[in-house]
Amino acid sequence: MSTPSVNVESVTKRFAGHTAVDRLSMQVPAGGIFGLLGPNGAGKSTTIRLIMSIIEPDEGRITRFGSAQSSRDLSARIGYLPEERGLYKKMKVLDHLIFLGETKGLSRAEGRKRALAWLERLEIAGWAQKKVEDLSKGMQQKVQFAGALLHEPELVILDEPFSGLDPINAQTMKDIVVGIAKSGRTVLFSTHVMEQAERMCDHVAIIARGRMVVNGTLAQVKADFGGRYLALGFSSGREHANAALADPRLVARLDDYGASAELRLADGATPDQLLSALVGAGVGLRRFEVVEPSLQAIFVAKVGADPDAAPLPQGAAA
Amino acid sequence: MNKTMAVVRREYVERVRSKAFLISTILVPVFMVLVMLLPMLMLAGGDHTSRVAVVDASGSALGAPLASTLKAARFGSKPNAMPRYAVTVFPATAATLTAERDRLIAQTGLSGEHRGDGYDGVLVLAPGTLASGKLEYYGTNVGSPDAMARLQRDVSDAIAGVRLATAGVDEGVVKQAMAKADVSTTKVEDGKITGQSGMAAFGIAYAMGFILYLAIVIYGQQMTTSVIEEKTSRIMEVLTSSLTPFQMLMGKVLGVGLAGLTQMAIWGGTAFALGSQGGHIAGAFGASAEAAKDFALPGMPVSLLVVFLLYFALGFLLYGALFAAVGAMCNSIQETQQYILPVTMLTMIGFFAVFALIKDPNGGIGATLSLIPFFSPFTMPVRWSMTSVPLVQLGISLALMVLGLLACVWIAGRIYRTGILMYGKKPSWRELWRWIRVG
Repeated sequence: MSTPSVNVESVTKRFAGHTAVDRLSMQVPAGGIFGLLGPNGAGKSTTIRLIMSIIEPDEGRITRFGSAQSSRDLSARIGYLPEERGLYKKMKVLDHLIFLGETKGLSRAEGRKRALAWLERLEIAGWAQKKVEDLSKGMQQKVQFAGALLHEPELVILDEPFSGLDPINAQTMKDIVVGIAKSGRTVLFSTHVMEQAERMCDHVAIIARGRMVVNGTLAQVKADFGGRYLALGFSSGREHANAALADPRLVARLDDYGASAELRLADGATPDQLLSALVGAGVGLRRFEVVEPSLQAIFVAKVGADPDAAPLPQGAAA
Repeated sequence: MNKTMAVVRREYVERVRSKAFLISTILVPVFMVLVMLLPMLMLAGGDHTSRVAVVDASGSALGAPLASTLKAARFGSKPNAMPRYAVTVFPATAATLTAERDRLIAQTGLSGEHRGDGYDGVLVLAPGTLASGKLEYYGTNVGSPDAMARLQRDVSDAIAGVRLATAGVDEGVVKQAMAKADVSTTKVEDGKITGQSGMAAFGIAYAMGFILYLAIVIYGQQMTTSVIEEKTSRIMEVLTSSLTPFQMLMGKVLGVGLAGLTQMAIWGGTAFALGSQGGHIAGAFGASAEAAKDFALPGMPVSLLVVFLLYFALGFLLYGALFAAVGAMCNSIQETQQYILPVTMLTMIGFFAVFALIKDPNGGIGATLSLIPFFSPFTMPVRWSMTSVPLVQLGISLALMVLGLLACVWIAGRIYRTGILMYGKKPSWRELWRWIRVG
């Protein structure tokens, strides 16, 4: 395989009082969409800012395209959409995009050409001569999105790119992101919305409290969790199921919906042990299914709803 | 380099295009012209002929010569200038003096429709005036130091003339003796006459210091504000991912500086036009052409212009970098107060040093201040305009200035690099020092 677009090697970043990123290692392979997942405050934005050389790591090193140069020196090859969106409010949209293009090394003429094309594509061409402050928030996001992609970077880094967008605009952005990956370029984006990642990503990394929890291709991550998840539907004798479902030797985790339930098997337990226990207790089942876990379920299982339950073993990566 | 130019262009174009730029470009000169013309208009009120009643109880023929001296006094030196006084003599005796005086005072300073009927002042010549030199004046214009000084001088001249005549000195000799001395001042520099009058040199020196001070204060504040705007709008994060702090800092300082120069070029051009057409314009405002002539722009020697522009550019960049660093430290305009104070203090010391220099341009203070980078932009051009500065001193001062500028940009760049991504708490002086050290 070719050189990874980004290689993060055992990077630690501390801020006053707390460690935002703790010995984090991950590789973003060239090509495809890489999802950086985690709950709020997990260190996603810090990781991205480290990759962007906006802040420097306290320990460890980060290479981009196999080079130790900073992102700033490679800025012509990298596009960046920060979590906190910001534009010059008094500038005209077209002028602003041209300026952003110039900061990435485009000539003014080339910047203008591409900016116009992007505004056309995002269906805001009519606003080119308007001031940024006259645009709605969604439109401003589109402008910033275009600004990050104007110089056709081979690596696109997007921090929470779909937050605050209405469904139609979010769909437009998703199409563009998918288009970038199809053209063989790399997209790294962060999100805390699992279903977005599930539908779009080739690779995912889940981090929590600055540490890597799960890392791999989507299929791989799911396979590692497969077989451990069961979906149950009860037809009769629901009350007889309680004993089996509460048995810690069988069930590690239970989402009880009354007439149905989702659960994760305890380590060492098999689906047929649970099935025989339920049938033996006289429970009527209309559904008993070993399911491929949703990313949401993996996320919850790995990160945990309450912090004490969060498993944070060293090198939990799959 | 291209990226820096992109920042310079953005700063310049956005600034020059803004409404605030247009408004301040128009309003500041209007304000300045008003400030200059208002005193003129007020003074112009003193340019009317005062009607003076002279109560003459001197009995020694002081009344007639005094009246003729006063009648000869005019505003300005032109033969067709307005007379200062319209004199009417009322003879009196020691007995009638008080009654006559009070009668005339009752007709003085009338208001409303009777204004033109009475007098503006009553001059009382007592019997002993010629010997003692003491006399009284009652008038509406006693509050004007200028008018009173003139009156005092004119009366003194008349009394001196009469005393000399009484002493038997020939009238022609008296006239010759009383002719006023007229000193015209010309500045000499390096053994050569510069063609400037003393007043003009002072005017240029003062104006240069003031322009630099104004430019630094106005555009320096803008610099701070615009850095804070970039922080609060979070555009900084996009910029830092593609620009170095130095590129951002230099681009901003140069862009704002060029916009400032553009504005001042517009003002300078306007002032030049006003200066050359001053008479007509002042006339339109009702001031006399004579008064406007005092405000005409004096000529500026080329060497002075070069020195001024050199120091202006260096000083502006130096202070610009400091103001940008202040912006990088803070998250709101309110927060800037604490940090901006030391910077504005430096500019104020520099500006007020100009006044000290005008007294003694070559003194130890002057020489020292014109070597310190923070103050030399104010003081060196002033010294250059008022005295001959050794070229060695100029060279050392310029070298120190360049070094100071580089140091300031370096320090500001370090603060900028750390500060622009700091949100929340503003740094303490100790933390600031760490930013500079560690960067």
